Amino acid sequence: MSSDRPVQEARGRLDGFNADRERVLREVERRVVERLVERAGRGGDDSLEYVLNDVAVSEIRRLEAGGKDAHRWRELAGRLGDLTQPQLVDELHKLLRYYGRDIVGNFDPRVYKFATKVLTPGLGLLFSPLASLRGGVHGLLSELDSRIQVEGPLDLLRSMAERGTLIVTPTHSSNMDSIVMGLALERAGLPPVTYGAGKNLFTNPFISFFMHNLGAYRVDRRLRFELYKDILKEYSTVLLESGYHSLFFPGGTRCRSNVIESQLKLGLLGTAVTAYRNSVAEGAPQRRIYVVPTTINYRLVLEAETLIEDYLAETGKNRYIITDDEFSRLGRIVEFVRKILVHEGAVVIRFGRPLDPLGHDVDDDGASIDRRGRSIDLRGYFQGADGAVRVDDQRDAEYTRLLGRRLAAAYPRESVFHATHAVSRVVYDLVCAQAGTRDIYRLTRLPPNREVALADVVRGLGALRTQLAAHPEAGRFHQRVESLGDQAVVDDAVRALGGYHKRPVLSRAGEQLIVGDLKLVFYYQNRLAHLGAAS
Amino acid sequence: MSRGDTVGIVGAGGFGTALAVALARAGRPVALYTRTPAVADAIARTRRCPRLPEVAIPDGVQVVQEPSALAAVARFLVVAVTSTDVTARLRELGASLDGSHLVVHAIGALAAPDDVRVSAVIAAQTPVLRAGVLAGPASPRDLAAGRFASMVIASAFDEVTREARRLLNLPPALRLYGTRDVVGVELASALAGAYTVALGLADGIDVGPGPRAVLVTRAVAEASRLGEALGGQARTFAGLAGLGNLLVRSGTEDDPDYALGRALARGEVVTDRLTEGARAAIAGMRLAQRAKVRMPLLDGLAAVLAGRATVADAARLAADTVAAEE
Repeated sequence: MSSDRPVQEARGRLDGFNADRERVLREVERRVVERLVERAGRGGDDSLEYVLNDVAVSEIRRLEAGGKDAHRWRELAGRLGDLTQPQLVDELHKLLRYYGRDIVGNFDPRVYKFATKVLTPGLGLLFSPLASLRGGVHGLLSELDSRIQVEGPLDLLRSMAERGTLIVTPTHSSNMDSIVMGLALERAGLPPVTYGAGKNLFTNPFISFFMHNLGAYRVDRRLRFELYKDILKEYSTVLLESGYHSLFFPGGTRCRSNVIESQLKLGLLGTAVTAYRNSVAEGAPQRRIYVVPTTINYRLVLEAETLIEDYLAETGKNRYIITDDEFSRLGRIVEFVRKILVHEGAVVIRFGRPLDPLGHDVDDDGASIDRRGRSIDLRGYFQGADGAVRVDDQRDAEYTRLLGRRLAAAYPRESVFHATHAVSRVVYDLVCAQAGTRDIYRLTRLPPNREVALADVVRGLGALRTQLAAHPEAGRFHQRVESLGDQAVVDDAVRALGGYHKRPVLSRAGEQLIVGDLKLVFYYQNRLAHLGAAS
Repeated sequence: MSRGDTVGIVGAGGFGTALAVALARAGRPVALYTRTPAVADAIARTRRCPRLPEVAIPDGVQVVQEPSALAAVARFLVVAVTSTDVTARLRELGASLDGSHLVVHAIGALAAPDDVRVSAVIAAQTPVLRAGVLAGPASPRDLAAGRFASMVIASAFDEVTREARRLLNLPPALRLYGTRDVVGVELASALAGAYTVALGLADGIDVGPGPRAVLVTRAVAEASRLGEALGGQARTFAGLAGLGNLLVRSGTEDDPDYALGRALARGEVVTDRLTEGARAAIAGMRLAQRAKVRMPLLDGLAAVLAGRATVADAARLAADTVAAEE
């Protein structure tokens, strides 16, 4: 690649992205075409005809399933057999441009203008019952902002952002995450990031507004063919090489069950290794990439009901798009902000220490260190027997697996548990003990409104505190939980869980707690599921 | 000699020396690392290693005594030291190695004192990520004599397997098979040592071919169960690292593990009961208990080694359990 890249050791950043966009797209196109043409030399499933046919067939299936016209793709599929190699390459270029534009398309300044100037007054009206939110979207932003608590080695991360490119990798619980992360980064004095967001999110104008501000690019999860995945990965790789700080949700989609994610999707994460390898190959190993494990810890989750219903109905499956959840209703978001974010620190974003793309720790100067704390040079990991940088995707996938393992270990350690999690855990344990099973499916068939003794909950909470204190690798309680007594924590959780969801999750009746929604108790306690039963 | 084409061998024991000799005879550049001055001196003076005195060491084998010198001359390293030494050796080497190195070990045992797989020690003590394990029925004698031998190379990195084959394959004398089942190969190879002791016991009391065959097949079955419980693949235990190792070692009179079993069976007073195989039996039992896997043969062997049971007790116990288990 040429050395006259605009982004040097870059602050670079999203401000200049629109001017750089065409170069990024061209580079993605060039690389993907080059790779596929080279691979096509092997023939068979790698031939261009096969690659193009895969796209056409997949698009025909998708469009016709939705009752839409797939004429264009039928026509392409029909011609493929007659095309010469140069013509196939030409078609490939066309597809690259088509999908590339779909991915970056949202940076259109006119859309941005529309969102800021036209939508804002409308949103302001919606929020008018809230005196403090009269400033419209910006008012809401500042309100949200004061409720978001940011923790972690922020000075270190700010210096990393100067030295190299950050990849913020948060846990994913809610569609609010991208908004919350955007605010958290600003709050932390960290630069804005670019990230891939499901195309379905762009249909909600409110959310779309934030997406644009946050530098989102569009990921259309309905497109399942390999070429699209190749383009997305290459797009991310080029962005990272160009110094654009990025955000990935390694869990993939919002976690349905609310457990701390341990099964991570390595596809996009792998672009960290690829981008760094490319920089090393170019003779620029100083263009460092830092992966920042991050947890987003909500006292209550906006769309908890939909998520847990989906989990219980679909365990083991992976539906990407849930329609008609709380998120698509503006009123529900307003309610969320009003009811949930009345508490200081109702959302805690905790950043961990950064890792390098191979999963090593890094020291305060940004150098990678091995498990004995000695600084190491990453270049060697990419060298072949002759000392030159070698492209080896299988090797890099293994490196990414190591990174994924480190991230999965960091998540529980950097998690912050609210009263809602702690009390749900204790209540769930008590209900399970009563019923003689921990199986949620069997528990949900029990008669509703089970009761547990308040005194047992208070006692259980004390035991849970002792247990968590003995396992710092499993996370920590929120300061608020730390500072309140056991009884006060229970009251706090009952208040929170009783006041936001459709029906009270927990409510107090004399010296008993009544479980109004066992599924949500299960959902909230899942955050602590990695902490085994107390011995 | 290019660094990428040089094989660095850590440890001038029987296997390390034999491998160095075999490679050098084929014209491959070899650096043999030993930290023992007496061994280095002996090789320099006589071109013989005290640990394998019957074999002459070709001039192509360069002896190095400094970790930094080894790291500089070779990118690909084979670690062939005892399981009791491996942590300390890798710790010394770790200071000189870097991300460019590929390390495979040929240690058929778990590392003392915590029964961890040697690949975990490589990860903890060195910056090397591209690591693997080499195992199978290639005795030092066979290697040095150029007799047909095969081994298996296991690594999560295909590059390590490719490089091991490029640098170590010596057809027809040594052939390498590849797999990604690192856990399986490490366990199979360690447990093969333990079952070699058990076969020594059985042969020592002359159980005969029928019971011997039962013993071998049950050993493979129970080792496979443990391997699967710990993340390995069952079929690895029926391969070169497991069954292959066991068959060759249990037929070799001077194999230390086999010799230990026979000596115990004959009621001889054995001063050194802690061979690699004996240690693997004890370590294997601890792993089995943690993983809640039943291993009657290993259990009986561990009891004999610990002096908790006589050979006859163990044989009876094993026979009963074998009958109940199949």
